[in-house]
Amino acid sequence: MANNGINASYLGAAQLVGLALSAVSTAAFGFMSTPTYVALAMSFVVFLVLLQSANLLMYFLRKLVLAIPLLLGVCTLIFILIELSPGDISSKFFNPNVTPEVKALIEAKYGLDRPAIIRYGIMVKNIVMFDFGRSMSQERPVFDIIAEALPNTLLLSAVTLVIIFPTGILLGTIQGVKSGKPADTGISISSLFFYSMPSFWLALMLQLIFGTYLGLLPFSGPYDLNAFDQTPWQHFIDRCIHLILPGLAMGLASAAGTARYMRSSLLEVIRQDYIRTARAKGLPEGVVIRKHALRNALLPIITLMGLSLPFLFSGSVLVEQVFAWPGMGRTILLAIFEQDTPLIIASFFMFTLVVVAGNILADLAYALVDPRIKFD
Amino acid sequence: MRRLSTLSALSLVAIGGGLVLTQACSGGSSGTPAATADGRADMLVIPWQSDIGQLTPGVSESASDGYIMAMINYPVVDSGFDCSLKKSPGIATEWAWNEDGTVLSMTLRDDITFSDGHLVTAEDIAFTYELVRDPVVASPRVSFVERMVEGKDPLVIDDTHIEWHFTVAYDRDTQMSHATGVPVIPKHIMENADRASLRGNDYSRAPMSTGPWKLAEHDPNVRIVMEPNENFTGPAEDRTKLKRVVFQIIPEYNTRLLKLQAGEVDLMESILVSDADALRENHPEINLVKRGYRSNDYVAWNLSNPLFQDVRVRRAMAHATNVDDIIGKLLTSSDGTAYARRSIGTITPELCGVHNDSVTPLAYNQEEARRLFAEAGWTDSDADGVLDKDGEKFEFTLTTNTGNSRRAQSSVFIQSNLAEVGVKINIEQLESNTFFENLRLKDYEAALAGWSAGLFVDPSGLWHSDIVCAEGQEDCEPKKYEFNFTGFSNARADELIDQGLRTPIPGEAAPIWMELQQVIYDEQPYMFLWWQNEIVGVSDRFENTETDLLSPYGHLEHWSVPADRVKY
Repeated sequence: MANNGINASYLGAAQLVGLALSAVSTAAFGFMSTPTYVALAMSFVVFLVLLQSANLLMYFLRKLVLAIPLLLGVCTLIFILIELSPGDISSKFFNPNVTPEVKALIEAKYGLDRPAIIRYGIMVKNIVMFDFGRSMSQERPVFDIIAEALPNTLLLSAVTLVIIFPTGILLGTIQGVKSGKPADTGISISSLFFYSMPSFWLALMLQLIFGTYLGLLPFSGPYDLNAFDQTPWQHFIDRCIHLILPGLAMGLASAAGTARYMRSSLLEVIRQDYIRTARAKGLPEGVVIRKHALRNALLPIITLMGLSLPFLFSGSVLVEQVFAWPGMGRTILLAIFEQDTPLIIASFFMFTLVVVAGNILADLAYALVDPRIKFD
Repeated sequence: MRRLSTLSALSLVAIGGGLVLTQACSGGSSGTPAATADGRADMLVIPWQSDIGQLTPGVSESASDGYIMAMINYPVVDSGFDCSLKKSPGIATEWAWNEDGTVLSMTLRDDITFSDGHLVTAEDIAFTYELVRDPVVASPRVSFVERMVEGKDPLVIDDTHIEWHFTVAYDRDTQMSHATGVPVIPKHIMENADRASLRGNDYSRAPMSTGPWKLAEHDPNVRIVMEPNENFTGPAEDRTKLKRVVFQIIPEYNTRLLKLQAGEVDLMESILVSDADALRENHPEINLVKRGYRSNDYVAWNLSNPLFQDVRVRRAMAHATNVDDIIGKLLTSSDGTAYARRSIGTITPELCGVHNDSVTPLAYNQEEARRLFAEAGWTDSDADGVLDKDGEKFEFTLTTNTGNSRRAQSSVFIQSNLAEVGVKINIEQLESNTFFENLRLKDYEAALAGWSAGLFVDPSGLWHSDIVCAEGQEDCEPKKYEFNFTGFSNARADELIDQGLRTPIPGEAAPIWMELQQVIYDEQPYMFLWWQNEIVGVSDRFENTETDLLSPYGHLEHWSVPADRVKY
């Protein structure tokens, strides 16, 4: 138990340090360089090895191997969907001012005149080689485009997670403790209010209220686009405040949801016999809640954290569009509109990879927090 | 557990701290506006829906590409618009046509340079067109050289003299646009570039400048910053007055509008009529300018569908649709300003010498509609409210594309108007790519769509019938007109189009185009609806602005701000 406690704290610390590192470096330098990614991945592996848990390492590797068919499946499905949709990148040359020959030339240039099965084979080969080729719409390596966009989405997701979980857990705990009292009802009503709001509408309302009426916060872009000659420190602060509204737009609804989960989970735990025992021992109520009830009530929330990653990424498509945030959500949207197959495939590949990684992390955290779960 | 509660507390403190910092910073972030040493002052900020793509002339595609290219490239011949395209000197100082209109000779300036100091010469222009013609490049402008003599497109006489040789003489405005429509590519830089990857070449991201502006910064999908080109050697009056132009990439319309209202951007294109009222009332500092009639909406009838083959039926539907009422409801602001006028064809009314003003739009008249339907055999024999003929109901699907609220709303008005005379319409909205693919394949019944009109007349793509050659027939080149979505085929129209396109002097072709408009309108292959007038909002601190049919922000080098109104 004690040992597991230490492991959990390592993992928590490593995750926090990773998030903080990526947040700081992204905010400071605009995007993370490839060495930063490598360093982060390496430190995580070293950390696992340091845990000296063979089981854990095996578990981690097995999950990675299982991810391969998943990745291939996702790419195949996306490929089929693109094939089924009418038109391709050359459709934009369907215009009375452009001769039909140009359309044919463009099709030949990107190999779109070849049979689908051959193009599928080439795609699979490229994925295996980890080479996504060149974007058809932007005419530059797909990897460059993703390297620009992904850190922005990760940064926004990190900020959103910070808004969702600490806030949700705090509010849910207050509700659980003050169950049936006005504080509980008040938080319940406001949670329901935020939970039922569509994220794009919430985004627009936040822009209107904080951006236009109150003029408190910037409401679009990753930094002040009319600013020149900022010092690095000003630029850093500028980038940080530009994260607030998109972070809130993405996080508020989920924070409200998390609070609901936390409340019911805590209420369930509080009814257990061992809590009654703790109270009977004469422990102060604060200690009972913090030491005995909360820890067990948090278990389902950790699962929720792993599950929330896909939603964070899909939510980013709308929120990034509204807040002009240059992340993966917008990249995907543009790629789909332009029918830029290599970019679409690569974007979904990255999405799947991040989601798989998030789930592995959640599994690990869950097992480490709950001593009853073993990695076999 | 203590760890987690501490974390929650920390994050709340962080959010709170961020808010405080914002307030602290928002007061101090604006600097004192000052003119630069060379007297340039202030900056113009324009939001764009999407980023630029390719800045290499000849392979650029989007409107954004075009606007940046107009800033960094000194034009071969400058354009203005007044009833028709008006050309004025640019790199070419003078030009002349030979007698039969097949040779255009030009004299070029000898003082325009690329940003590296190299002179722009006739060789560069010839090289540019060599790239456009090369099939490996797959240039979307390849149609420009279709009717030019290969090798003489242009013929270089010396550094400052060129001749364009055409295989046939056609409309002179079009010929001129074809000869001067591609900005100059520096031969000394691009001579050895790989032509197959001209799109995506490094030059596309850091193009040379011959014009008053240069590309100073491009943060992909975030912003584009244009600054004065210090090495500009053109006329003094074409030097920039502003010290910067910033294009912000803001994909969402509502966000762009909020930014305009908050004063964070200075100009916005394509403002919806429904937003014009609020802007006029609450933001007197924003001038709302009409750009002119450049795009239209229409309902295309698929003429291969038996329902639409009788011209009386098509005319009846035009009589039954209250177009003026729809314009009044959707395209007129509350102060009564209309941002649309009825259309009678696909030639824009802005081409005032060519547009046929004497064609009167079919009036809204339900009685006349019923009479025409009855004459064509359509009556409501079973009194169920829907017309029928030989047991078949008059029912069809009207398709339009998603993402265009004006068309979505219009389709409902048309549906209800036609229901009153017994026509049943089912409305279908398709994603744009699918929608246009279906139009191309003529796989639709009726479609609500629109065109953006060209500024010189070439109706062949839309209205010429396919040229099908009989077997063994010589002197015949088969041709398919893919944009003739309705399958319109009219011998007189074909004749007029061929004749008009062969007439080089624009004024002489006008009567031919006038007759063509009447012929097409009488046939009603489209139910012509309206021409929209795009609204552009511009901050009133700018002077010498140019918002017209050619560009929402033409000749940005002439824009300026009086000293007492400088903001940045």
